[in-house]
Amino acid sequence: MPIKKYPTIIKLLMAIVMVFLLGMLYYRFVYMPQEIVLHIGLFAGSNWNVPAADSYAVVDKAISSFEKRHPGVKIVYVNGIRKNDYSEWLSEQVLKGSEPDVFMVLSSDFNLYARMGLLENIDGMSRRDSAFSYEAYYKAALDYGKYDKKQYALPFESVPTLMFVNKTLLQWAGIAIPANNWKWQDFIAICQKVTKDTDNDGVIDQFGCYDYTWQQAAISNDVKLFRDDGKLSYFSDNKMDDVIKFMMSLEKINQGHKVTAKEFDMGKVAFRPFTFAQYRTYKPYPWRIKKYSSFEWDCIKLPAGPDGKNISQLDTLLMAMSSRSEHKELAWAFLKELCYEKTTQMDILQQSEAMPVIKNVVESNEAKKMLLNGIPGDDKMNVTIISDVMKNAYMPPKFSKYNLAMLIADNEIKRIIEGNITLNNALNKVQKKVNDFLQN
Amino acid sequence: MKGKIQSLSIIQWLLYGFNAVVVMLLAAFISITQMKINQSMVARKFLDSVATVPWAIDKMLLYAFISFVLLIFFSILYRRMAGCGSNNKYIILLLEICACIMVMRSINMAYNGMVLIVVADLVSGYKGKNQRIILTVAMLGLYLIASYNLVDFQLKIVALEAYFAYYNQMAQGILKAVCNIFTSFNMIIFVLYIIVLVQDQHQEKERVKMLNEKLNEANRQLRFYAIEVESMAETRERNRLAREIHDTLGHALTGIVAGIDACLATIDAAPEFTKKQLKIIGDVGRHGITDVRRSVKKLRPDALEKFSLQGALQQMIEEFAGTTGMKIKLLCDKWPEKLRKDQEEVIYRLIQESITNANRHGQASNIVIIIEPTADWLKIIIKDDGKGCTKITEGFGLRHMQERLELLKGTFHYEGGNGFTIIASIPVNWGGVYNDKNHDS
Repeated sequence: MPIKKYPTIIKLLMAIVMVFLLGMLYYRFVYMPQEIVLHIGLFAGSNWNVPAADSYAVVDKAISSFEKRHPGVKIVYVNGIRKNDYSEWLSEQVLKGSEPDVFMVLSSDFNLYARMGLLENIDGMSRRDSAFSYEAYYKAALDYGKYDKKQYALPFESVPTLMFVNKTLLQWAGIAIPANNWKWQDFIAICQKVTKDTDNDGVIDQFGCYDYTWQQAAISNDVKLFRDDGKLSYFSDNKMDDVIKFMMSLEKINQGHKVTAKEFDMGKVAFRPFTFAQYRTYKPYPWRIKKYSSFEWDCIKLPAGPDGKNISQLDTLLMAMSSRSEHKELAWAFLKELCYEKTTQMDILQQSEAMPVIKNVVESNEAKKMLLNGIPGDDKMNVTIISDVMKNAYMPPKFSKYNLAMLIADNEIKRIIEGNITLNNALNKVQKKVNDFLQN
Repeated sequence: MKGKIQSLSIIQWLLYGFNAVVVMLLAAFISITQMKINQSMVARKFLDSVATVPWAIDKMLLYAFISFVLLIFFSILYRRMAGCGSNNKYIILLLEICACIMVMRSINMAYNGMVLIVVADLVSGYKGKNQRIILTVAMLGLYLIASYNLVDFQLKIVALEAYFAYYNQMAQGILKAVCNIFTSFNMIIFVLYIIVLVQDQHQEKERVKMLNEKLNEANRQLRFYAIEVESMAETRERNRLAREIHDTLGHALTGIVAGIDACLATIDAAPEFTKKQLKIIGDVGRHGITDVRRSVKKLRPDALEKFSLQGALQQMIEEFAGTTGMKIKLLCDKWPEKLRKDQEEVIYRLIQESITNANRHGQASNIVIIIEPTADWLKIIIKDDGKGCTKITEGFGLRHMQERLELLKGTFHYEGGNGFTIIASIPVNWGGVYNDKNHDS
C-alpha cells in the first residue's frame, strides 16, 4: 500500500508543476499584451540649476527613433516631476516595485541604489555588446557611474567648469590672455594689476575675479578632501593650507569689497569661473544682449596650484537601468540609445545646456561648427579646450552625505578666508567637525 | 495511547496554525508600513536605512503565502514518509527546508519560528544513529540561517527594525514586545510538543517491554505443552501398539497355541483330522501375518500412502518451509522410480529428521537437499547454513537415522563444520524384480 502511494503523490506534484508552468506560458505569450512597454524615469528641468527650455526634447527624439527601430515597443515616462521631488518619487516607485526600466540617477542617490542592488551592473551586457565600448567616453564622466569598481550607470551628459576671461578688460589693461597652463601666481598677478579705481572716485571699481571658490582652488591643487567611502575627510592636508592662503591673498586684493554678478555683467571683472551649462543658458539671445553686450570674452582652463594641474570639476548626469527590469535587453538598447548613440548625443549639444559625454561627438566637425557658428554673435567656444578640460576633469565624490558635508566645511572655511578665525589649527577643527558629521 | 497521539497532532497543528498567523501578520505589517511610508513621502529616507531593494507588497504577500503552504505540505508529506520508512523522505525534507528558508526570506527574516516546524519534523522522524548526525547538521544550519545577525553581511535583507523606525518610540516599543511574545509563544508550543513526544515514546517503550514479557511467557508454556503433547502421543501410540499386538498377534498366537495343543492330543488317534486342523492353524498364522502387516502399514507416514515419494517430500518441505520461514531447495535430476516402500519411508524420515534438526539445533535459514541416483546406490545429501557444530553429541535422532539406514544396508555420514551436512547412501537394485511381500515376510 505505501509503495503505491508515493508515485501518486509525485504524479500529483508533477501535475501541479505542469499546470503552473502552462499557466505561466499562457500568461506570458497569450494573455499578456503583445506590446512591450518600457518605462523610463526623468525629471523636468535641468540638472544644472539653470532654466531649461524643453527638458524632454532630447529624450523625446531618442524615444521616437527607438520606437521606429523596435516595432511593438512603447516607451513611456511620467511627465512633470521636478528635480527636487524626483528622488522621493523614484524611492516610492522602488518601494512599490514599479521603478522605471531606465531612469536618471541623481548623484546623491547613486551610491545608495548601487549598493542596495537596484541598479543593474552593466559590465556584463557591455562586454557582450560588440557595438559598444567604454573607450568612447570621457573617463571622468564614465567613472562617475562606477561603484565598487563596477559600472552601474552610463553618463548621459556632463558639465565642465571653465574660466571666462573678459578679453576687453584685459586688452584695455594691456595684459595678454593667460595660457592654458597658467598658475595661481599668474592669476593673482593679473588680479592685482586689474584691481583699481578707474573713475578716480576713491573707490576701487574694477576687479580681478568673481565667484572663484576655495573648492575650485582645492581641485586645482590636487587636494583629496574625502576618503572614497565618505566616512573620513582630509581637510588638514598641507595642500589645503596652501589653498586657504591663496584664497586669503585673493580676498585681500579686493580690500573688503564683495564683487557681485552685476559688476561682472557690466564688464568690470576680469575672470569668472562658469559651468558650461551657465554659459549655454546665458549665451543665446536674449540673455546675451542683455547681459554681456559690453565686452568680449574667451574661455580658458582654471589656474593650477603649486601641487596640482589646470583641472576643474566635471558634473555628470547618470542614466541607469533597474536590476528588476523584465526587459533587460531592451532597456540596455534604450540606455545605449540615450547615452551612446551619436545622434542623441549630438542632440544634447543642440537642445540641452550640457556637453555630450562621447569624445568623438564633442570633437566632431559638426560639434565644432555648432559651437562656432550655430549661435549668432562673434564669441567663440573653443572645442579643443572643452574636450581637453573634460578629459582631465576632476570627478566629485558622490556619497550621500557629500553635499551636506561640503556645506558644513564651506561655512567654516569661508570664515577662515574672511579672517574671522585664525588659520592656526583651524583646518584641524574643520576636519574634526566634518568627520563627526560623516561618522554619525 | 490513541489519546496521546491525538494530542500530539493537535499540538502539531497548533504549531502550523500559530506560525501561519504570525507570518501573515508580519507580511501584513510590512505591507502596511511600506504603504504608509509611500503615503507620508519618506521613501527616500527609508531606503537610506536599508541594505537592499525591498520587495514589492504583492510579491512579498504572494511569496509568503505560497512558500508557507509549501512548507506545511512538505511537512505533512515528510511525516507520512518517515512513518513508512521511505528513503525519499530526505528529498522531501530538503524541499521542506527550502520552503522554510523561502518563507523567512519573504518576510525579510523578521521571524524564524517556522524553523521549529522543521525541527519538530526532524525530531519526530528520528530513528537510528545516522539520523542523529543529520539532525544535528540540519538544526545547526537552520539555526545559522535563522539567526540572520550572523549572516546578514552576506544575506541582503531589509531589517524589521527599519520598518519599526517609521513609527514613534511608543509604538516601536509595543511592536518589539509583540514580536518577542510571538517568538516566546512559538517556543512554548514547540517545547510542549517535544514533551508530549518524549512521553509518547517512553510509553511506547514500556508497552513493547510488557508485550515482550507476555510473549516469552506464552513461548514457555507452548514448549511445555509441546513436551506434554509428545509424551501423550507416545503413550497413545504405545497403547495402540499394545492393542494391535493383543488383537492381532495375540489373537492369532492364542489360536495357534490352542490349535497345536488340540493337535497334540489328536495326532495319534486321528492323524487325518489333525492334518486338517494343522492346515487351519497355518491359515490362522498367515492371517495373523496379514494383520501385522496392516498394523505396520498404519505406522507409515500418511503422505506416503497418498502420494509418490516425490509428492510427499515436496508437500512436507512446503509445509515445513511455510511454518518455519526457512528456504528449502530440493534438487533431483531424475526421480528414482522403483523404490521399495521401506526405502521410501527411510528416505522420507531421514529428510524429515534432518530439516527438523537444521531448524531446531542449527537455526539454519537455507537448506539444500540433493537426491542423486547412481548405478547401484541412491545418494542423499542434506546441507544447511546453520550454526553446525564441531563437537557432535549423537542424540536420539541421529542414532535413529543410522539404525534405519543400517537396516537397509546403507551408509550414513555427517559433519558439522560450516553448517551441517548429512550424506546418506542406500543400495538399490534398479533392474531386479522386487517382491515386496517376500521381503516383508
